[in-house]
Amino acid sequence: MQQVQEQAAEAAKEGFNAGETIIEHVANSGLDHPLIHLPTIGGIDFSVTKHVFMLWLVATLVFVVVTVVVRRYIRQDRLVPSGFMNALETVVEFIRDSVVRPSVGDKWTMTWTPLLLTLFAFILTANAIGMIPIFELLGLLNHSFLHASDDSFLGRLLHGGATATSNFNVTAALAVVSFFAIIVAGSKAHGAVQHWKNLVPHGVSPFLAVALIPIEILGMLVRPFALTMRLAANMTGGHIAILAILSFVFIFAEMAGQYVGMGIGLAFSVPLAVAISALEIIVILVQAYVFTLLTAVFIGMAIHAHH
Amino acid sequence: MEGFALAYMGAGIGLGLAVIGAGLGIGRLAAGLAEGIARQPSAVAQLTGAVNLPLFLLEGVAILAEVFALLIVLLK
Repeated sequence: MQQVQEQAAEAAKEGFNAGETIIEHVANSGLDHPLIHLPTIGGIDFSVTKHVFMLWLVATLVFVVVTVVVRRYIRQDRLVPSGFMNALETVVEFIRDSVVRPSVGDKWTMTWTPLLLTLFAFILTANAIGMIPIFELLGLLNHSFLHASDDSFLGRLLHGGATATSNFNVTAALAVVSFFAIIVAGSKAHGAVQHWKNLVPHGVSPFLAVALIPIEILGMLVRPFALTMRLAANMTGGHIAILAILSFVFIFAEMAGQYVGMGIGLAFSVPLAVAISALEIIVILVQAYVFTLLTAVFIGMAIHAHH
Repeated sequence: MEGFALAYMGAGIGLGLAVIGAGLGIGRLAAGLAEGIARQPSAVAQLTGAVNLPLFLLEGVAILAEVFALLIVLLK
């Protein structure tokens, strides 16, 4: 507690530090103050940080909402969708008919649609929850009324970012799922041995084939890596841009007085931040779609290997 | 201190080059798409589908370059 006070005093002395504030808002909560302390097993700290908490929240939300809606729909006498079920059906049909079927082919569509739908729903929900300023509002509430201490659950909840998909570990785990999905898809379509043979195109001379092996293995590993980086960097980048533009208010207020800061905020920062937030909503949809589409295309490439 | 400054400079120049490359690439794709739609307005869906995938791959490459530029600064 004393350490925190000292840090706060130091921060106040140094003035507003845009970089540190932005990183604190974007990054995961640190291992020194996680939400729930759990023991370290085998060198891995199992403490629940904020991104893990959001991960569970998103998974529970998607599971409960989709299951309840679909169960209620199936129990109806006449199978006419209504309300949220309409939207859900549109999404499912869109993913099945314009993402999975063209890339995977008719034969394997129903095999791979469930996995890709799960990826899409999870990534979309995780991205979207990051745009809703729940914890910022909670922080405001805490600042004005509640005054929860830094050590309480609520106090810890206010540290760090809320977009689980902006954490590289989360997207890496998702990309590992699609990495194995590609291998399984190839093995199911061609058999375990033939899938690995398919990596090298048929009909090339043996010397070229030997030279191609490392390139193909590299390509196999680069695809999930690119998936990881694309999703996480996009989700982090938007938040950093918004926060950087908003921090101009405080930088100018410190440099030239509070009225200049307010003017910059009214004329420049807030309108631009609103515009970037609108762009972010598009990015959220596009990135969930891209991750699903690319996984489908890679699975399709493993199935329709060049002969 | 000098190495630190050079790392910043390298990251900045690399970031700019990545943005130039990505911008040129997206521009060419958009130009090709517009031209294709102008020639064959009925094939909009197919053309958009064909442009989408390389667009996202290109975006991925640009994002990778930016992440590495960031890593240069963070890891010095």
